[in-house]
Amino acid sequence: MTRFPFDPDSIRALADILVETGLTEIEVAEKDSRIRVVRQPVMTAPVHVAAAPPAAAPAAAAAGAQATAAAEEDLATHPGAVLSPMVGIVYLAPEPGAEPYVAVGRTVAAGQTLLLIEAMKTFNQIRAPRAGTVTRILAASGTPVEYGEPLMVID
Amino acid sequence: MFGKILIANRGEIALRIQRACRELGIPTVAVHSTADASAMHVRLADESVCIGPPAARESYLNTAAILSAAIITGADAIHPGYGFLSENASFAEMVAAHGLTFIGPLPEHIRQMGDKIAAKAAMASLGVPLVPGSEGAVTDLDEARRVADRLGYPVLVKAAAGGGGRGMKRADAPDTLEEAWRVARAEALAAFGNDAVYLEKYLDRPRHIELQVLADRYGDVVHFGERDCSLQRRHQKLLEEAGSPALSPAARDALGEVVTSALSRLGYRNAGTLEFLYQDGKFAFIEMNTRLQVEHPVTEMVCDVDLVREQIRIAAGEPLGYDQSDISFSGHAIECRVTAEDPETFTPNAGRIEAYHAPGGLGVRVDSALYAGYRVPPFYDSMVAKLIVHARTRAEAINRLRRAIDEFAIVGIKTTLPLHRRIVDDPDFQAGNYTIHWLERFVGAG
Repeated sequence: MTRFPFDPDSIRALADILVETGLTEIEVAEKDSRIRVVRQPVMTAPVHVAAAPPAAAPAAAAAGAQATAAAEEDLATHPGAVLSPMVGIVYLAPEPGAEPYVAVGRTVAAGQTLLLIEAMKTFNQIRAPRAGTVTRILAASGTPVEYGEPLMVID
Repeated sequence: MFGKILIANRGEIALRIQRACRELGIPTVAVHSTADASAMHVRLADESVCIGPPAARESYLNTAAILSAAIITGADAIHPGYGFLSENASFAEMVAAHGLTFIGPLPEHIRQMGDKIAAKAAMASLGVPLVPGSEGAVTDLDEARRVADRLGYPVLVKAAAGGGGRGMKRADAPDTLEEAWRVARAEALAAFGNDAVYLEKYLDRPRHIELQVLADRYGDVVHFGERDCSLQRRHQKLLEEAGSPALSPAARDALGEVVTSALSRLGYRNAGTLEFLYQDGKFAFIEMNTRLQVEHPVTEMVCDVDLVREQIRIAAGEPLGYDQSDISFSGHAIECRVTAEDPETFTPNAGRIEAYHAPGGLGVRVDSALYAGYRVPPFYDSMVAKLIVHARTRAEAINRLRRAIDEFAIVGIKTTLPLHRRIVDDPDFQAGNYTIHWLERFVGAG
C-alpha cells in the first residue's frame, strides 16, 4: 500500500478550528499539497427536545448545542428538580399582575403551589413534591413546556 | 393547505407521515414519549413535544397531552397514523372541537365502523355482500342456537366492539356453542367493556382480501385495488401482496364498483379499507378500517400513489383530481412485516441496534425507523421494519424479495427476517396457494 504523505496533527488542528469557529469546511493549500476538512452539520435539535445526543452525530458536533443539552439533562436528573407532569403553558402567578407563587430563595412546604400549567383551558396547580428552598426557576410565564421538562429546582 | 401538521404516532408510520409532510413543504410537530426521544422521526421533524412517560396510555393515547401539544405549537392538523387514536371517534371529534383538522374519516363513520354490528348493517343496506350471520346482536343463548342452526356449524361468536381478529370464539357443533357463547361475551366485556356479540358462519379456507379506497369531500370515491393479507399468525398479518394471486382484474373491478358505489352513498371521506373473506369465488365483508393501514405501501407501489399525501390533500379540502379510469395497476408488490421477535418462538425482544443495513436497488423499499445505535423500546408494538418489493410480475417480486431479505442486516435484536426467508422459498407461497390458515400450519410445522 502506498504511503500517503499527510500530517494527522494538521488535520486535527483544522478540525478543532472548525468546531471553535462553527465553520463547516476549511481547505489549506501549499505548493502541490492540499488538505480539505469538511464537517457535516449536526441536524438542528428541534424545540423542546429532551437532551438525547443524536446517534450518528460525528465527533465534531457543535459545542454550543451540546452544552445546552448537557445542562438541561443535568437539571432533569437533579434530585431537586420539579419536572413538568404535562404539556401546556406555564404561569408563575395566579393571575396576570398578581405576585408570583414563589421566587428564588423562597422556602416552600411540601404540597405548596409553585406554578400553574394551563392545558386546554384548564389550569393545573403544580405543587412542591417536598419542602425546601427554590434555587432556580427555569420556565418563564406564558411559555410552553413539555412532559418531563424541568420547571424549578427545590433544594 | 395546512400550516403545520402534528404527527400523533410513533415508529415507522410517524416517519412515513413526516416524509409526506416534508415533500408537501408542511412543517411538522412530532409528539413522543420519553422512550422515543431519540426516534428518527423526532429528529427529522421541525419541532417536537414530549407528551408523557413510555406507557402508551399516558403518551400516545393521552388525548389531552396531544391536543395540548397541538395548541402550544400552533399545529392546525393532526395525522393519527394507524393504531393508537386513529380509530377513536371521540378523539377525532375533540380535534375538530379545538378548531383543528383530523386527517382521516369523519367521526361518525369511525364510530359506525368501529361497531362491527353497525358496520355490517350499513354495508348490507349498501349492497355489499356479507359473511352469512345473525341479523345484528344476539342477546341470548336460545337465539344464538337458532341462528347457528340456520347458518350451519361451525360458527363464530364475535364481539361487536372487537375487530382486527380479536374477540372471536369458534363453535364447531351445537354442544360447544354454549361455552363459546359465554367465553366470547366474558372476554368481550373484559377487553372492550362491551359484551355485545353477533354470530357469523365460519369459513374454513378463505383468503383475506381487502380493498383500498379514497374519498374526497366532494363525493368522489376511487379504489386502488386489493391486497391479499391471508398470511396471518394469530390474526396478525405478516406478509401482504398487491394484487391477490387469486383475483383476476375483472373480479377486482367488479368488487371495486360495488365498494365505491357503497361508500359514495355513505358519504365516506378520506382513506379506508374494506376487509373481505374470499372463498369459492365469493366475497364476504367482515369489517372496515377507517384509517391508513400498515400494508398501504404495496398499493402505493402498484398504483404509483402516495396515500399519505392524498390523505393530507383530502383533509385540506382538495378534490381528488382524478377518477377510477385514471388509476392503473402495474406489476406486483409484496410487503414483509419485520418484527422484533424470535423467528421461531415469536418471543419479543428489545435492545440496541448494533448494525443496520437496509437492502436497496430497483424495486426495493424499506419503511423503518431503525438506525444503527437506536434502542428499540420494549413498550410498544414489535414491528420494526416493513420490507416492500415491487416488480413487473409476482415471480420477479418473489425473486427480488429473496435477494432483498438476504441483504437486510439488523444486528442486535432477533427479527422475523429468517421466517420471511423461509416463506419465500415455500412452493405453496410461490404458487400463491394459501388461505388464512396457511401460515399457522407453516410455522407450526417448524
